[in-house]
Amino acid sequence: MSKLDDPIQQGLQRGWRVLGGSRGAVPSTLLCDVAIIGSGAGAGITAELLTKAGLQVVIVEEGPLKSSSDFRQRESDAYPSLYQESAARKTADKAINILQGRCVGGSTTVNWTSSFRTPADTLEHWRTQYGLAEMTPPAMAPWFEQAERRLGIGPWLTEPNRNNELLRTGAARLGIAASSIQRNVKGCWNLGSCGMGCPTNAKQSMLVTTLPAALDQGATLLVQMRAERLEWRDGRVEALHCVPVADNSAPTGANGVRVTAKHYVVAGGAINSPALLLRSGLPDPHGLVGKRTFLHPVVISAATFADPVNGWDGAPQTLYTDHFLQTQPLTGAIGYKLEAPPLHPVIFSSTLAGHGRDQADMLAQFPRTHSLLALMRDGFHAQSPGGSVGLRSDGTPVLDYPLNDFVMDGARRAFLSMAEIQFAAGARSVVPVHEEATPSTSWEEVRRKILGLSMKPLLTRVVSAHVMGGCPMAGSEAQGVVRPDGTHWQLANLSVHDGSLFPTSIGANPQLSVYGLAAMLATRLAKRLTGNDVQLA
Amino acid sequence: MQRRKLLQIGAVASLTLVTVGGGLVWMRPAAPSSELNAESRMLFTAVAQAVLDGVLPSGPARASALAGHVERVQQTIRGFAPAVQNELAQLLGILCTAPGRRLLARLAAPWDAASVADVQLALQRMRTSRLATRQQIYHALRDITNGAYFSDPMAWPAIGYPGPRDI
Repeated sequence: MSKLDDPIQQGLQRGWRVLGGSRGAVPSTLLCDVAIIGSGAGAGITAELLTKAGLQVVIVEEGPLKSSSDFRQRESDAYPSLYQESAARKTADKAINILQGRCVGGSTTVNWTSSFRTPADTLEHWRTQYGLAEMTPPAMAPWFEQAERRLGIGPWLTEPNRNNELLRTGAARLGIAASSIQRNVKGCWNLGSCGMGCPTNAKQSMLVTTLPAALDQGATLLVQMRAERLEWRDGRVEALHCVPVADNSAPTGANGVRVTAKHYVVAGGAINSPALLLRSGLPDPHGLVGKRTFLHPVVISAATFADPVNGWDGAPQTLYTDHFLQTQPLTGAIGYKLEAPPLHPVIFSSTLAGHGRDQADMLAQFPRTHSLLALMRDGFHAQSPGGSVGLRSDGTPVLDYPLNDFVMDGARRAFLSMAEIQFAAGARSVVPVHEEATPSTSWEEVRRKILGLSMKPLLTRVVSAHVMGGCPMAGSEAQGVVRPDGTHWQLANLSVHDGSLFPTSIGANPQLSVYGLAAMLATRLAKRLTGNDVQLA
Repeated sequence: MQRRKLLQIGAVASLTLVTVGGGLVWMRPAAPSSELNAESRMLFTAVAQAVLDGVLPSGPARASALAGHVERVQQTIRGFAPAVQNELAQLLGILCTAPGRRLLARLAAPWDAASVADVQLALQRMRTSRLATRQQIYHALRDITNGAYFSDPMAWPAIGYPGPRDI
């Protein structure tokens, strides 16, 4: 256990109003100015800005409140308590495993700190295709700057760990540039356990920044409370109904709470946000809710080196290359960003392919294993419509994301690119994470084998940590669930402030895109509701 | 197109399963879907010996390693959301009947009598099966097994992982 100060425990001792779960009973009704559903990137930014404007805010989070004294750098603690569906959330056909946060702070509590502004070509596509006229890089820059100041986002000046350095080495030998990734950290210990919750509070997640600010300003936080349904009539939301849930998100059967507010902000993350709209039967005249949900589908290549790589050690994802996003047009064949993820025993052993003696041989090489991931930029081509969120019989959401030939063509090219870089960096052997693949000892051999792989779902291991879309923002009602100011096209006092707003994927790790957009929308919402000017930083 | 076809075959296979194996499952007394019964524990013990072949300790330490592992599988399943628990419970129920085991895993011997090689062959055939349902079963059993086993600090020295840093 961390012996360091825990700012959340200190806040609770100061009298923060946190209810639900083990924090005490929730009354059957609550009245506030704004109810915010979720506590992740969009919710946290919104909560701080609205409380700054003097509004009474209630934040509703399905997961538990965990903080640095709970973060023991153990996957066995982190996955069941901090992630949606125990970090085993799957698409409908079980072909994609989705990592998504479910705790106070949402995915920002467990992400790997990679911070990119929304790329200029993505913004241009939104302007020209979705009527989001304001989204130019200069117009968005002040919002990103505020988020960067507030969350300590800046260059990472420590040497990259070897897992990352090998990406730069291999890419450089092929004439491909790799650049540094900015991170949202202050005084980072370079432990590498970001995905299990930061035990030193260095990561500037919502858990340690905006949510404490909102709670200090008098916000109420409900934990282990699922937003079940929005009650609406005559173009307005009238109430939010929530039910208490257990550690595994099963309803406890205890009485829920009806929250009434002047305004409602949905920020439960793409998948859960559209699911709430679907469960509530909100108007959806163009059938857009839950559709065009994007994942940046990820494929992985593992390599072994002669010397230790120790992929668990040190900051994850500090270098990247966008070379393969730029080898074809934005709207052409699917491009991909390459990064070097952290490796820990559970995620490593459950993500790599194989079983029995072959697996044992691969696991014996764990300290010498290097891995690269390719995140594919989905949603910019007619053959990349993403997935759609539906509801199971118990009302919980499930995402159907067909991995079609268009996406799988990108996966094959990504396998080739990653293997070539790994051999150029000096790998002794490389294996793409695919059920038919076996390790190869040369670029020529792996190239031949990759060209022969059946690029099918369930044979190709595909994962995702970036869920986007499903409540898109657009300049016309026919294209968007919400308007360019984030309010619902049909319900005047409902806004969406999370990654489900994106009309396509981002083409980069999305947290800063959510922060910047939420800062813009929430600043203006605060002005509309109170007349007050507020600033994030 | 090809994938849709496969999924349809998967659906037909699932329907057959429900008919063949499901009846047997549903005739048993209801148990919470979060809890493993004795047959499911045997299944996970057999799967562990196959998936973790070359990783599990040999000799006297093996039995206690397997017992601890099955407890962690149980803990893993308790962490799943109800919809996932129900789906898994239904699958395990079917795989623990003789017709279900033969049809889906193509395993002749009961889980607790099958050799490691038999279970590995069954897993490998599911892994590369043309039926999505069989592939999904392979991934579920294999991923739960690896996740549960390698979450235990006892498993780390063998793969050279030093564990958390002291802070």
